[in-house]
Amino acid sequence: MNGAESISERARRWWQQLAAVMLKEAKQVTRDPSSWIIAVVLPLTFLFLFGYGISLDTTVVKVSLVREDSSEDGRAFAAALENSRWFLVTHAADRAAGKRELQDQVVKAVVIIPAQFGELLHSQADTAQIQVLVDGAEPNTANYVRGYVSAIWSGFLAARGRSQGDSMTVPITVEPRYWFNANAESRWFLIPGSMTVIMTLLGTLLTALVIAREWERGTLEALYATPLTRGQILIGKTLPYFALAMISMAVCVFTALLLFHLPLRGSILTVGLVSAVFLFPALGQGLWISAAMRTQLAAAQLGLMTGYLPAMMLSGFLFDIHSMPRWLQIVTLLVPARYMNVSLQTVFLAGDVWYVLLPNIAFMLAVGALFFTLTWRRLQKRID
Amino acid sequence: MLQRLIAIVRKELINMLRDPRARMSLILPPLLQLFIFSSAATMEVKNIDLAIVDLDRGPTSAEILHRLRGSRSFERLDLFPSLAVARTEIERERVIGALVLQSGLSADVIAGRPASIQLLMDGRRSNAAQIAAQYISVIVGGVGASVTGRAIGVSAAPDAEVVIDNWFNPNLEYTWFMLPNLVGNLSLGVALMLTAMSVARERELGTFDQTLVSPATPVEIALGKLLPPLLVALVQTSLYLLIVTQLYGVPFRGSLWLFYVAVLTFAAAAAGVGLFISSMVRTQQQAFLGAFAVLLPFALLSGFATPIENMPGWLQFFTAINPLAHMLRIMQGLFLKGASLQSLADDLNKLVAIAAVTVTASVLLFRRKAA
Repeated sequence: MNGAESISERARRWWQQLAAVMLKEAKQVTRDPSSWIIAVVLPLTFLFLFGYGISLDTTVVKVSLVREDSSEDGRAFAAALENSRWFLVTHAADRAAGKRELQDQVVKAVVIIPAQFGELLHSQADTAQIQVLVDGAEPNTANYVRGYVSAIWSGFLAARGRSQGDSMTVPITVEPRYWFNANAESRWFLIPGSMTVIMTLLGTLLTALVIAREWERGTLEALYATPLTRGQILIGKTLPYFALAMISMAVCVFTALLLFHLPLRGSILTVGLVSAVFLFPALGQGLWISAAMRTQLAAAQLGLMTGYLPAMMLSGFLFDIHSMPRWLQIVTLLVPARYMNVSLQTVFLAGDVWYVLLPNIAFMLAVGALFFTLTWRRLQKRID
Repeated sequence: MLQRLIAIVRKELINMLRDPRARMSLILPPLLQLFIFSSAATMEVKNIDLAIVDLDRGPTSAEILHRLRGSRSFERLDLFPSLAVARTEIERERVIGALVLQSGLSADVIAGRPASIQLLMDGRRSNAAQIAAQYISVIVGGVGASVTGRAIGVSAAPDAEVVIDNWFNPNLEYTWFMLPNLVGNLSLGVALMLTAMSVARERELGTFDQTLVSPATPVEIALGKLLPPLLVALVQTSLYLLIVTQLYGVPFRGSLWLFYVAVLTFAAAAAGVGLFISSMVRTQQQAFLGAFAVLLPFALLSGFATPIENMPGWLQFFTAINPLAHMLRIMQGLFLKGASLQSLADDLNKLVAIAAVTVTASVLLFRRKAA
């Protein structure tokens, strides 16, 4: 009797059942107004924050200047410092005052032009010194201050040499040019990265709470009691979130293009393809977490730990992967956001460079397959 | 009243620590984060892979290559016959850029003519690229100075110099910056998340109404929700303090009691925000997302990822009401600078004010919603 049921009929029933779960899940998602806030408001807020709040381009650094020397050279150097566009110079009465400002985090550095600076500069025997005290608590800023002061210093020496008729030898200079991002604007590389973080947030974190909630409420057992197969449950649970994430990705992309004037050198279709592929591991990871954790609180924390934070810290979004220790570079291979980041940066800034995109797409699919397999097995264990 | 409050706090703590998985999730993830992110979060650029297109093949290019190989910032220098080949290497992210040593470079340098070298960097990784370009400029500039010095016979010894002294962190160790910051960031996450989920969880499970019909007043219940996260934060930060100073060797130069005053005030501010969110939402999912929507701006606009001075003015205003921004300055001051109460007073006062506002507002809202 069962054999009489043709394959096409079984397939049709399979699809009908799948459609029913999807409809149920989709209703559950769209009925909840918070879903729309999540899909539209949250991504936009984040994009604004990332676009305006994070800038790695150094701007003006506050510096305190202590002038103990009133010679012409001392004044000239002070003027060079004040005229530089890198520093906002305030004057401190003496060293103690300058050091106090540094201690109290009012300024990032104190530049001291010591007494007799001018005299020493003219004498052949002694070395004239400019002293710079830098707040080392922020190593990056400290490095920039060092670079800027050195540049002003060599400019000062060169100008002084010229005015005295010395011909300075011109050293070799390096002219950096930035491909794909001519002005080396940090926003251009941060915005594709923020999209990755937003997608991870929706794909992994939101989904992570789904099955966990069903476990807490006991509705998962009810779902198992239906004739649905594991595959249907998995797909049915995933697809509405897939659609939600794609909508917010579209919102992000248009905002980035229209508001932040991010160039799109590849095609919009490629952006869509890459995003769809990325959601495979992102959703897979979310499902796996929710299936592994019993409570929503635990699922939320694991989602933060293994989804969101790696997307922030280990994806090359803020911190360059190549600079990390080797063992950590290997860990990043498991972070889907890493591949998404490179892909998006490439599509937006370089174009549809398939020999870069395809390996990344392959890796995303592989990580996704891993997570879906894990979830699959996890669900099987639970039903026993 | 105190007796009832203690009873509620005990109940909340039992609730929080009963589940072994939840217990683990309070301890393990923050520690893992500390270990992983302290090595990930570096703005130093290391292990640079660079493509070299050497069309000069003279003494100058040899000297440049020699010095680049000697620098510990570089891992691989790959020689390529032409820029076109090097370009695909950049696209594939195998190298961060290409240094083109044009033909005639050595001849120019020996003749004393100014020479400039082209460096093509991957603008997709603009931050790392800029830092790497800075390193390369310094190294190549050094070659220029010494090569020209030798050729023309000028003594390279300067009669004037800039002496740079890095205070608080003489070797500019990035972990010294990162770890005190992580102490603030991680305790924020825990305190906020725990309170945000607590009421929502009880609502979902239906135990919230039971608590309400108990003899405890809504204010007592609200305080009972606020206090346990403070205890958790206290334990966690103590653990961090031990690890950061003993394992990573970051100095702690401030006073311990100021540290705990700051931690408690900060955790109270965070828990207040958490309870506020918790009173507003119906489900844990909403609570989680609400907490998250607050956590992210707090973290981004705290001076942790990017200096506050780099932000536009209207965002800098937000950093003034961001508890994490004050907390991070206090942590840096205590760990590295041995800051006194006097120099921390401003941040500490603001933190106390923020905590007072969030706790009062959340308790009031809780009472209204519960009534």
